[in-house]
Parts: sequence; structure tokens; C-alpha cells
Amino acid sequence: MASDGLATSTGTRPNDPLAAYLSDLAAELLGPRRRRGAILTELRDGLEQATQDRITTGLPPERAAAAAICQFGSPHAVADAFAGELTTAYARRTIAWFIATGPLVGIWWLLLLHPSPWRTGLIALVAAIPVIPLIIAAIATASGTLATTGRLMRWLPETSPRRALSATITIAMLCMIIDLTMITMIMVSGTPTRPLMIIASAASLTRIVCSITTVRHTGLMRMIQIDHEVQQ
Amino acid sequence: MLPMRPELLKGHLDALLLAILESGPQHGYAVIESLRSGSDGALDLPTGTVYPALHRLERAGLIASDWQTVGGRRRRAYHLTQAGHITLSEHRALWDQFSTAVTALLKRRTWPATA
Repeated sequence: MASDGLATSTGTRPNDPLAAYLSDLAAELLGPRRRRGAILTELRDGLEQATQDRITTGLPPERAAAAAICQFGSPHAVADAFAGELTTAYARRTIAWFIATGPLVGIWWLLLLHPSPWRTGLIALVAAIPVIPLIIAAIATASGTLATTGRLMRWLPETSPRRALSATITIAMLCMIIDLTMITMIMVSGTPTRPLMIIASAASLTRIVCSITTVRHTGLMRMIQIDHEVQQ
Repeated sequence: MLPMRPELLKGHLDALLLAILESGPQHGYAVIESLRSGSDGALDLPTGTVYPALHRLERAGLIASDWQTVGGRRRRAYHLTQAGHITLSEHRALWDQFSTAVTALLKRRTWPATA
């Protein structure tokens, strides 16, 4: 379930209409846990302030809470409104993870293959590591998506949540192809097994598993996002 | 005054939120109340429109937020960044041009007939 106990972690009390409302909302929000927690904490403060304002005007607490909830809208409507932001946050976080872990995988392959582009030239480097164009494509997709969903969107066209998810799937699939190619290449080369080869292959296999999980999860989020856009 | 539909504000909500935060830091619910009171009730926007719009502006670097503890509650207060001040000035200049042009066209008057 999407809530992950987030509603209770925001300081809600049982039999409290605001707690029930936030619990329903927590169950409908999809996205990074920390972001969902921040949204629930922020909305709880807003709801309590709205309730307090109505109590000040003379409404009894129960009716004041009900009126505040009515003003905020149904949990489904609020979750729908936050869907785009949460989707974008998820895509940015996942892409940042691929960027951060890329060198952790690549370094072992570089140490294993030790290409020397300054001696042999760029063509020999691409021959030694044929996935270089794919790495460049993945980095370009990641950089472009991060730029157009972040601070640079003031000057560049903003990437929609659905496109951000598509970019995330593309990057994960490129990583899978890169890792599979490297593992296949080293296995068919007949190079004797060395500790460095085992480490590099293990790093790539770990990333393949993570990439498969990412493609599945992101694909599901993309379908939900498409449904959401159709409903709007 | 009749409340305006949120879709009428499309493209202008960013500027309105930046303008409200220009006077100083405010939390999300206070921003919603300022929108309503500052427009004499005409801009009574659903909460679900305003909070995500604030998050988007923060992502764009036009506003920033700080968490405070007020009366035992955790509260997120938003304030304008330097980029937000610049963008607000640009929005104001654009709005002045736009509103002057639209007001001129919407005035009731007789248009010269074309041949």
C-alpha cells in the first residue's frame, strides 16, 4: 500500500477526522516516500490552520474540521493534483541514482579493459568498449531530463511527468543493454577469469536487476499517469 | 463577485503566487487565503491547485521553503528567491502589455468597416 504508515507518522490521532482524511490521502499518493511524507505534513498543518480559523469564527470543532476538509477537496482529487509533481520527483530521483551509480559500475570495466585513448586514439577506444555511444546517449537523456524538470525549466521547455517517466525507462534500458553487452563481450573473449572480471560482472549484474525493477515500476507509474491525463 | 474557474488562470497562477510571496514568507494555506482575500473572493482556488503549484515553483528555483515549528506543528514556509524576483518582474511587464492590448480590444466601440 502506498501509505506506508505515513499518515500516522505525521502526528495524527485516531478518531480525528483530519487523521482519517490524511490516511485516505496517504493511501492514494504514489511517489518517493520522503516527498509523500512532506506533502502530508504540510497539508496537515494547512488543515489544522483552516479548522482553527473556522473555530475562531464560532463554528464547533467537528463542523470546523468538516468545513476545512471540504475546502481542501476529496483525498482522490488532492492525490490527483499532486500526481504530476510526485511523478516528476520519482523520475528525477531515479535518474540521479543511475547517474551516481554509473561510475561505480564503469570504473571496474575501465580497470579491467584499461583502454588508452591517448595512445591508440578514439576509434580504438570505441572498439575496446563498444557501448560508449550508448553511455553517451544515456548521459545525454539523463542530463536533458534533469535540466528540463529542474531549475533550467525557466529557460528550456518543461518536460512533462509522462515524458520524464519515458526518459527514465529509456535510461534503465540503455543501462541494461550496456551491462549485458559488456558481460557477453568479456565471456566470449575467452579472457581467463580474474578477480577484477568477477567484480565488474557482479556490478553489472546488480545494475541489471535494479534496471529491470526500475523499468517495471516506472512502466506501471507511466500507465497510471496516462490514465490520469485521460481522466483530466 | 463570482469566483473564477481555475482554468481561466492557466498561465497566470505562477505570477500570482510569486506576487503573494513578494511581501514575505508565507505557508501554503496562508497563500491560498491571500489569493482569496487579495482578489475579494474572486480567486478562491482549490487547495489541490495551489500546493502542487508551489512545489513546482520550488523545483524551478523561483521559490524556496523552510520548515518551522509553530505551536507544536511543523509548517513549511515559502519565500521568493532572487530568480523568483526577476521572473515576477518579467511576468508583470508581460501582463501590463497583455492587459493593455486585451482591454483595448474588449472596449465597446464601433469598428471601422472594411471594404
